[in-house]
Amino acid sequence: MKKLTALLLAAALCFAALAGCSQPTSQGSDAPSSKPTQGANPTEVLKDPVTVTVWHDGDEGIMQTITDQVNAQLADDQITVVFEKKTDTPNQLKLYGSDAANAPDMYFYAHDVLGTFVAMDILAPLSDVVDSSILADHLAMTVEAGQIGGTQYLLPVYFETLVFLYNKALWEGDIPGTTEELYDYMAAHTDAAAGTYAVVNQHTNAYNVSPFINGFGGYVIDENGKPGLNDPKTIEAATYNQKFGALQADGDYNTVTTLFNEGKAAAIIGGPWLVSGIEAAGIDYGIASLSDIKLPNGNGLAPFSGIQGAGVLKVALAEKKDAIAKVLTAMAAPEVGVDLANKSGCAPANNKSYDDPQVAGNEMIAVIQKTASTARPMPNIPEMNAMWGPAEAMLTAINKNGADPAQAADEAQAAAEQAIADMK
Amino acid sequence: MTRKGKNAVRLTLLNAGFILLCLVILVPVLYALSISFSGQGAALSGELSLLPKDPTLENYRAILFDKPFLLWLKNSLLLSAGTIALSMLCAVPAAYAASRWRFAGRRGMLRALLVLNAFPQVLSMFALFRVLRLTGTLNTHGGLVMIYAGSMCVFAIWNMKGYFDTIPKEIEEASKIDGANDFQMIVRIVLPLARPAIIVTCVMVLITVWNEYLFATTFLLDSRSYSLAGGLYQLQSNDYSRNWSVFTAASMLASLPLLLIFFKIQKYMVSGLTAGGVKE
Amino acid sequence: MEQKRRWKPWFYCLPALLLILTVIVFPIAYTGWISLTNMNLYHWTDYEVIGFGNYARALFKFDSGFLSALATTLVWTALNMVIQIGLGFLIALGLNAPGLRLKRVYKTLLMVPWAVPAYISILLWRVGMFNTEFGILNKLLSVLGFAKVDFLAGNGIAFLSCMALNLWMALPFMISTIDGALQSVDGSLYESATLDGAGFWRRTWSITVPAIRPIIAPAAVMTTFITFKQFDIIYLLTQQRGYMTGATLNTVITYAHQNAFASNNYGLSSAVSMLLFVIIILFSILTNRSLRED
Repeated sequence: MKKLTALLLAAALCFAALAGCSQPTSQGSDAPSSKPTQGANPTEVLKDPVTVTVWHDGDEGIMQTITDQVNAQLADDQITVVFEKKTDTPNQLKLYGSDAANAPDMYFYAHDVLGTFVAMDILAPLSDVVDSSILADHLAMTVEAGQIGGTQYLLPVYFETLVFLYNKALWEGDIPGTTEELYDYMAAHTDAAAGTYAVVNQHTNAYNVSPFINGFGGYVIDENGKPGLNDPKTIEAATYNQKFGALQADGDYNTVTTLFNEGKAAAIIGGPWLVSGIEAAGIDYGIASLSDIKLPNGNGLAPFSGIQGAGVLKVALAEKKDAIAKVLTAMAAPEVGVDLANKSGCAPANNKSYDDPQVAGNEMIAVIQKTASTARPMPNIPEMNAMWGPAEAMLTAINKNGADPAQAADEAQAAAEQAIADMK
Repeated sequence: MTRKGKNAVRLTLLNAGFILLCLVILVPVLYALSISFSGQGAALSGELSLLPKDPTLENYRAILFDKPFLLWLKNSLLLSAGTIALSMLCAVPAAYAASRWRFAGRRGMLRALLVLNAFPQVLSMFALFRVLRLTGTLNTHGGLVMIYAGSMCVFAIWNMKGYFDTIPKEIEEASKIDGANDFQMIVRIVLPLARPAIIVTCVMVLITVWNEYLFATTFLLDSRSYSLAGGLYQLQSNDYSRNWSVFTAASMLASLPLLLIFFKIQKYMVSGLTAGGVKE
Repeated sequence: MEQKRRWKPWFYCLPALLLILTVIVFPIAYTGWISLTNMNLYHWTDYEVIGFGNYARALFKFDSGFLSALATTLVWTALNMVIQIGLGFLIALGLNAPGLRLKRVYKTLLMVPWAVPAYISILLWRVGMFNTEFGILNKLLSVLGFAKVDFLAGNGIAFLSCMALNLWMALPFMISTIDGALQSVDGSLYESATLDGAGFWRRTWSITVPAIRPIIAPAAVMTTFITFKQFDIIYLLTQQRGYMTGATLNTVITYAHQNAFASNNYGLSSAVSMLLFVIIILFSILTNRSLRED
């Protein structure tokens, strides 16, 4: 009997040890404020401090700007918004999105994952929370990117697209007006063996090759969910891009960014998210619109644009609907856009933000706005999620392994169709 | 040539070989070490050199004080200690039973454990999520400890059972005559004798916990409660172009504790890892 | 008393079995259950049991691409194990050479890669060693006047690069294991052989190798499993989203990950996981023959 007791004791110890470490470990994010206490009188709920949690996977500086603006606006309402960085936010939301105890209240991400979340039925339409009038002043393109099937799920906050960034100390002469002239310049100014490049680009990433694909009239996926990787125009674009890729070093994000920041590349095709790093590196840079660089067919380069914004998790509505409504209203205000523009070079989604003279005079924003005329918002249907992999595989095969574009495109198209068929 | 001379030549060659081997093996580490002491700008595209450019301690200051490095270190230590405690509490009695008694189902159990160990956990993320949610341990260190201990339990049982097999039964019988019960006997006789195996098993568990980043970043919601591996993963997962030198400093600091432990327990590692097989 | 005797061992095993039941068995069973449902993006929370339909679809994943991934995995496992054990043995043999005074220093230095967390090792190698612009290997090549090499682009070279990294990460454990085994070999065996006039290599082959084989077997089997299941090295070096390098190298695990998990169809990917588990069990039964358990 004694032995049995000893054993049970050992087993009990195991679980005591387990239970001992089981208190929630987060300090603040999961604080009691996120769940109104049992005894709270419903009429007092609004007076209690409320924390609204937002998951993001973006630049901390940008999120801080939004946090500061929104919290300043809502100080009197005792509402605090907290942005928490979650690596790979979309995948995290797949696990936590319907888990009332642990899900965030909102998320902040680009619009291309919207369809996936809506299909999963974890988002609440904005109209369930606030009046649509908060979007009255927003640019139509950004508003539409936040809709699935005509329902608004995403509050657009700012938008971004690819631009041509160049190092003024290294670039000789004007920025070419055509891709052919650009290629000639690259051919003359690239010395791969010495590690110096004229232009670098993530040429294996579909987002970064989209200026060519869209400019040629090709597409990654259409609005009906049909992949267009082996569309003749897409193949034509990928084939044309091949000779640029050959002069652009490795296409990895960190490689090309570092080459530009360390003065080994005279220009980079990238977005406003690179600016803080470029400025930290002390580079005197200029910005040009890709729309101004014409393809042989006469079209300007036409990059994808991404609309960054906030969505509301369905499970958060039960307890925090009013607070979330106020947060959304505050985020939609033109002042947020003004701050984002002036501090981080983001192009605001709210048209009123451009009334600010400083925003109107911002070079980066002027270029992004100009590019927006040819840019195409990324598709936001759920199938888009399955496209990035096959598209990247295709571009990698063509640009890095010298594969025949038509054949690589057929293979990628088949992989994409299979992946989409697998979704249901 | 004399026999002695021949030996000297052989030893010289052997030493030369080992020096070369150590150098080759240490290249990535020396590289990281050199970058970690380099000033800004020398970071990535610097010339081929293993000596730091513009030597500075700034990177170490940055990782220690600007990032929650110490907090992550504390979490790693907590998680390691918890995992070691739980896995040993579970595995020692099981290994002892499997080593000492021939009971029905013993062989089947040992084999089944090995097969179960073959299931790649990376494929069962969602199921593990459910386990944690059902047990209410999502977003707790306790939940992670449970997962880590469970995944190392099979290895621990097998490794220690092998060592227990080598301890002669007679020693135990003598202490039984003295009136010790099983529990006292395990604690007073078996565990001290099996110290090498215990220590080595603990180190293997420690390495696993120290390395793990995927579960840590998925099942914990607040980055302040991450382990070192998880925190560094989050710090670097997308963009390391801006702070590569800080990252190398962090990686050197993150390797240091394990290195110190290796130095301390080197002689136990040897006997503990291998004695399991000695019996046959 | 008889009753008690029969149950006692199981009481001892109970905590471990409970833990394993929760963390390993339950997830496998749960994966098995999900594989019978239609859980996917469009039925995220309202999924229902649909029977074995997912398995019919999952079988199509085990196509020629899978077979080549399986072949790659087997070659990968075999080559890694042979080189690891071979190199580990030679290095351990050298460490145990009589008169080697710096043995402890060498051994300590050789253990260093083991202390570096795996994720960090992989990133250090991807950027610090293999990168075409910043990697040490390419800087060395260009100093010597050779052209740049993209170590991760082609399948062959990427395979070798992944293997080099895997060896770097795994050798310390192997050296340490074999070194310990060598020290446990009874020295008197050698003396009689030396008297018989057997040379060093002859003695090594006919005395040392048979003596240490059973000792390192458990460690070798564990390492074989780890090598077979290796995911991080190949995935993070060559095919992480946004960093694909051009190699289309796949092991069974990365293949399943790439083909079944990208679509967020949990029913289907669970079925693939279960079938993969069956394959791994078959593989482990084959391997287990070499591990005799009394």
